Amino acid sequence: MSSYVELQVTTHYSFLRGASSPNELFATAVCLGLDALGIVDRNSVAGIVRARRAARDTGLRMIAGCRLDLDCGTSLLVWPQDRPGWSNLTRLLTIGKARGGKGHCILHWDDVADYAGGLIAALVPDLPGEATDAALERLRAIFADRAYCALSFRRRPRDQERIAALHAAAHGAGVTPLATGDVLYATPENRMLQDVMTCIREKLTIDQLGFRRERHADRHLKSPQEMARRFKRWPDAIAATAELAKRIHFTLDDLAYQYPHEADPGLDEQQTLENHVWAAVAARSDASQALVDQLKHELRLIAELRYAPYFLTVHSIVRFARSTDPVHKGDPPKIPILCQGRGSAANSAVCYVLGITSIDPIASGLLFERFVSTARQEPPDIDVDFEHERREEVIQWVYETYGWTRAALTATVICYRPRGAMREVGKALGLSEDLISALSTQLSGWGGDGPGEREIKALNLNADDYRLSLAFDLARQLLETPRHLSQHPGGFVLTRDRLDSLVPIEPAAMVDRQVIEWDKDDIDDLKFMKVDVLGLGMLGCLSRAFELLETYRPQAPRTLVDIPHDDPLTYEMIRRADTLGVFQIESRAQMSMLPRLKPKHLYDLTIQIAIVRPGPIQGDMVHPYLRRREGKEPVTYPSPKIEGILKKTLGVPLFQEQAMLVAIHGAGFTPQRADQLRRSMATFKVTGGVQHFRDELIAGMLKNGYTRDFAERTVKQIEGFGSYGFPESHAASFAILAYASSWLKCHHPAIFACALLNAQPMGFYAPAQIVIDARNHGVEVRPVCVNASRWDCTLEPREDGALALRLGMRMVKGLANTAAAELIAARGDRPFASVTAAWERSGIGAGALTRLAEADGFHALGVARRQAIWALNGLGDAPLPLFATIESDSSGEPAVALKPLTAGREVVEDYVSTNLSLRHHPLSFMRADLRQQGIVRCGDLRGMDKKQVEVAGIILVRQRPGSAKGVLFVTLEDESGIANAILWPDRYERFRAEIHGARMLAIRGRVQEEGLVIHVVANRVRDLTPMLLGLGERDFKPEVSRADIIRNPPARDPRDFPKAREPGPGSWPWRPTIPIQTRDFR
Amino acid sequence: MLAIERIVRASPADAPPEAPLVTSIADGQRLVIAAACRQARALGIAPGQPLAQAQAMVKGLDIRPADPLGDEALVARIADHAARRWTPLAAADLPDGLWLDITGAAHLLGGEARLAAAMQRRLARAGLTTRIAIADCYGAAHGLARWGKDAVAIVPSGEQAQAVASLPVAALRIGAEIEERLTRLGIERIGELLAMPRAPLARRFGMTLVARLDQATGRAAEPVAALVPSEIPAAHRRFAEPIASAEAIAHAIVGLCNALVLRLTEAGLGARRLRLAVERIDGTVQPLILGMARATRDARHLRRLLDARIETIDPGFGIDALVLSAIAAEPLAATQIGSDDAPDLAPLVDRLAGRLGPAALWRSAAVESDVPERAVRRLPALAAPRGGDPWPAHWPRPIRLLDPPEPASAVIALLPDGAPARFTWRRRIHRVVCADGPERIHGEWWKRSTEQSAVRDYFRVEDDAGARFWLYRRGDGVDEATGDLAWFVHGVFA
Repeated sequence: MSSYVELQVTTHYSFLRGASSPNELFATAVCLGLDALGIVDRNSVAGIVRARRAARDTGLRMIAGCRLDLDCGTSLLVWPQDRPGWSNLTRLLTIGKARGGKGHCILHWDDVADYAGGLIAALVPDLPGEATDAALERLRAIFADRAYCALSFRRRPRDQERIAALHAAAHGAGVTPLATGDVLYATPENRMLQDVMTCIREKLTIDQLGFRRERHADRHLKSPQEMARRFKRWPDAIAATAELAKRIHFTLDDLAYQYPHEADPGLDEQQTLENHVWAAVAARSDASQALVDQLKHELRLIAELRYAPYFLTVHSIVRFARSTDPVHKGDPPKIPILCQGRGSAANSAVCYVLGITSIDPIASGLLFERFVSTARQEPPDIDVDFEHERREEVIQWVYETYGWTRAALTATVICYRPRGAMREVGKALGLSEDLISALSTQLSGWGGDGPGEREIKALNLNADDYRLSLAFDLARQLLETPRHLSQHPGGFVLTRDRLDSLVPIEPAAMVDRQVIEWDKDDIDDLKFMKVDVLGLGMLGCLSRAFELLETYRPQAPRTLVDIPHDDPLTYEMIRRADTLGVFQIESRAQMSMLPRLKPKHLYDLTIQIAIVRPGPIQGDMVHPYLRRREGKEPVTYPSPKIEGILKKTLGVPLFQEQAMLVAIHGAGFTPQRADQLRRSMATFKVTGGVQHFRDELIAGMLKNGYTRDFAERTVKQIEGFGSYGFPESHAASFAILAYASSWLKCHHPAIFACALLNAQPMGFYAPAQIVIDARNHGVEVRPVCVNASRWDCTLEPREDGALALRLGMRMVKGLANTAAAELIAARGDRPFASVTAAWERSGIGAGALTRLAEADGFHALGVARRQAIWALNGLGDAPLPLFATIESDSSGEPAVALKPLTAGREVVEDYVSTNLSLRHHPLSFMRADLRQQGIVRCGDLRGMDKKQVEVAGIILVRQRPGSAKGVLFVTLEDESGIANAILWPDRYERFRAEIHGARMLAIRGRVQEEGLVIHVVANRVRDLTPMLLGLGERDFKPEVSRADIIRNPPARDPRDFPKAREPGPGSWPWRPTIPIQTRDFR
Repeated sequence: MLAIERIVRASPADAPPEAPLVTSIADGQRLVIAAACRQARALGIAPGQPLAQAQAMVKGLDIRPADPLGDEALVARIADHAARRWTPLAAADLPDGLWLDITGAAHLLGGEARLAAAMQRRLARAGLTTRIAIADCYGAAHGLARWGKDAVAIVPSGEQAQAVASLPVAALRIGAEIEERLTRLGIERIGELLAMPRAPLARRFGMTLVARLDQATGRAAEPVAALVPSEIPAAHRRFAEPIASAEAIAHAIVGLCNALVLRLTEAGLGARRLRLAVERIDGTVQPLILGMARATRDARHLRRLLDARIETIDPGFGIDALVLSAIAAEPLAATQIGSDDAPDLAPLVDRLAGRLGPAALWRSAAVESDVPERAVRRLPALAAPRGGDPWPAHWPRPIRLLDPPEPASAVIALLPDGAPARFTWRRRIHRVVCADGPERIHGEWWKRSTEQSAVRDYFRVEDDAGARFWLYRRGDGVDEATGDLAWFVHGVFA
């Protein structure tokens, strides 16, 4: 043990202050010959768990601590001596954070005095003097012989003098002098990054920063010899560091975690769980012997690992969601919340019989101990998805049930991503706003090596510009540095004892939320229990659909479980890729895979969902799998062991678990090592976190007699999982939802469309496409109507027994929910007879009614759109009772003839006010012109394989996936359907102006038909936007939706910038235009 | 187009911009296109479009920051020019228009059509595209110039209503909101509005619309505040007999200064810069330019400044005329005489600057920098000392800084951070008796690449004679990259 221990080290979890990660600090410490580091972040212990991990990896000792910046300006370093000391520290921080609100911490001397037990403290003095003497006195009074005074060299004038005076003052007050390095970064080279962080924190450029820079030099780690040399006049201060370290017995391993108490009276947790399980089995009619055996096996394993409380907690949460019991006494019965579990342990027989998931583990052959193994020694992982809109109820119930002192959300550490890093560094270095935005736009596809030559060239920038190259360099350094803590969307930590005695809790940005300082990896590391309470839009949609089924189709299934399994009609529809709106398998990529994969069972859907992912695509697993499935390639296994693992997926590893098992059985990894591999797959998104496993894996597999080719493909796939891992258990849970939504779409298209529209925004498609799809499936869709619509879309039974879909007022842009509710309430069963009547009876003001008129909502009264608007424009906000007849009487006005709308204009107005039209597709108006140009309809491409064609349509989607190496996919829509075009990078470069500027395109190219999938490989692109603008009257201008710039390109709307209006003929001012929502994906 | 053409005008004639040119302006959080050149618009870029999107569409876009104030200033200058040249009643119609009342002025310039053509030619020479409309009322002319079909439109008297009927309603200056509402109702042209009953229109769209309609058709008058053309305050003196002697010039200057001060007083201005044009009988003009530290209209002060420069005038064969003009002037309020508390330094500064040159006079200010050379900055002699840059007091700094630092030789000091025990400077050996340091000062890495790792360790030392010095060593004594360990004396303490 060397004589010096560095006790004052700040990591980058002191956000925008510390410039080095715990890993860098410990690695440097090893090189310098230090034995232990004391981590003291500012009013936080957020980095402690990572520091512990770094310490473990390097074999050094980590001393947990914290720097408390008190409200009076005094700073103290504290290190817990023992477990009670730690609890005091976390309670202290919790108090300060509660007082300071999100991101702040307010503490006073009195608080420190209250929680001083078990803590060792050191004053961080500035200059010697009365203030320091007083602080030392106070410290001595509180901490007695546990009081120290930190002495650090600042490399400023009169340093020796200052330290000598402080040393003397400490002695005078009976406080032990303690040498510290006040470390902000690992090595001297990190100083520039630290300056930039200060700039970001102070929101200044480096030129403006001046004396706000950290002004004390030499804030890097130093070797024990160097510290001893510097403090040679005060060897006692050096010796004190080692003594202090010896007094500390606390390690994070002391944080014994306890599950919340769930057991029934008189029973222990395991017994309670078993009771629940066997009761559930008894209630089932279909319990097979295999299931019972499996349950017994699982319960034995659970007992052995003592996981029963965990399953009980998840069960309680799910039971609450499903129950109809009122939340509070006196409330009406609760409507059950649809939910489904997923995650490794979720697909167990126990979860199945308890209703946490709907996947039968026997039928799908998922084995429990694959996920909960004795080797892993950590809690199982169950995520529960709830209806998106109702997740908050569950969260609040958890807080209420487990108590505010025992439940909190985990944090997520928000780190700098390429764009943000570039933007912040650019600002700090004073680059111009234009340059910064250009740079960060270019950086979207930033890979592992960060920005460099390529971006500079792409932007025609001067690579020799010093500031610019500095900016790139520093942005690269800033990458992955934590910026702040945010709340995890739904990861709960629940404990039996006070949670704040384990970890500091802080209020979140959202009201009624509190967050701990550690993220989910930290929690995993400490083996705390975590339950993920997540929101899923599709569950909300399904819940609405089940409600509608109950109303209109009483015979139909009422829950996920009741839906008939393996319905042939549904799978037939899925195989046709007729899956618009369906969960997960609705994206372009998924759709194009469906006809090739030809799913027939639920497990096929599981594979389908998992296979169209960056992991398998980058690992080149898709084509081998398809070839084997289609019988074009023999199914072979490199060894019998691997056959056991990969049989289900025809010898091609597709799931994360399979990759792990291959590593264990193929390369001889220990389960722990495989677990590290899994962790690195999940954590390191950017650079080769998996890289250092690579050689080990390949070597191991070669040794065990596998071919290099197989080994390399496996490694490649595991690397792919790094960008997006997808375990089989998740895919299986998603497959259930995909199947359920497909079944609904197949058998109850009107109900499905209605539920989907009411659950918007969600999924891949806009309401317009959902409506078109519903109509293609024979659903009658009725327009928004003042007398028939409610806020949500509704169903109206037709005489023939079918259901018609009535669009709700939620589709009308600019109409508030409250106004619509008042209107509907005023309507009652008595329809409005006229525009004026609606205005008088509802009292919601002419403005709100005008929105409805713009959507042609008065059509049913025989009042055309413009006439209704004209009438409403003449009315005030609310009718005056006394003058009602006089005020509202527009009959005395001279009649005004308004130009009727052309058919094309009607469509445009429909789009403007509801984003869709039930009349005609915009392109149907120009079909004659298009035909003359030789353009074929999108729906007519079948059977035209290898022919040169030109198609035209409105751009629905532009997608440039990162995995597709610069290839752009464009989806066009016309009145007959959609067409998918592929642009190779050279074509994209050639036509980038058209592609980004247009709303309507004509694409000429060769048809490529592969089974049911048809693409047009583009070689020429024309911008047909003027035709779209000319729709109806040749007087439209495209409008940019305010929502998202990139998503909705060309803004030629002069209202955006009236000053720069271009004079001249034909340059018309404002026109309503079709606001088609092009969606851009990467 | 004005914004773009102004940029093109400003760029050197021999380097025509190759790339499509746009200007950008901040609109809330995002940057949008403010104006685009013809080429850019042909590529589909339009004002109001988000900049990021335009950049995605067109590579190598030449993006300049929009300068609405600069554009306005240009319009104001053109208005000024118009007021002097074409008609006395002119006004800027921001952001990019000009309003001229040519009643009674057109015939002097050959009629309306020729006047319009002349204007177009003149502005085309200045690199500006114009659209001109001439009508009986402002409303009609405004709309036609911006929305009409022709670059030059002349509306015969009394035919405004017909002329504007085909224009879009936007030509009425009614604001985007009313425009939008009208368009929604299918009312797109002014003619359609004119045909409608007025009461329902007023009820729905307010009196503004009706008033604008009347203004466009000439049924209602619209006052426009005309601009008063500006002039450069100047005084002339023409001599019947050419003068050449210094006395004669000095005498003339007295008169010129008095006359100029009179003009300045009338205009409420003070001169910041004077130009004395010396016109000689051989036809050459010799300009003499003088700057003042502060705006002034003190005749005596001006005269003194000019007197000091008489010797630089070469009268040649004689001077024909003298013109004294205040080429830069600032508003200057009248001041109370004799109520001064502090002496006014401005005249002294002007005279010293006249004698020593302006570069010889400055005021020092502190800069927040650790690098001693950069910690001081020169300000103009009369700049107010700002409170924002206090001189740092907590660290001792020498009274005199050597520029550049002078090498010290034969330095004996312990590495890595020992203070010098002995050093030689200016050939004298100094034996150090006490020292403090090091104070470590890092290079300002953002300024130059060579400063990225540069370190200086400063020491304050006192020699046996009691003299105190500020020395530094290049490098931190450990890492070679930080400096070569050479020693320098950077300053001496009092």
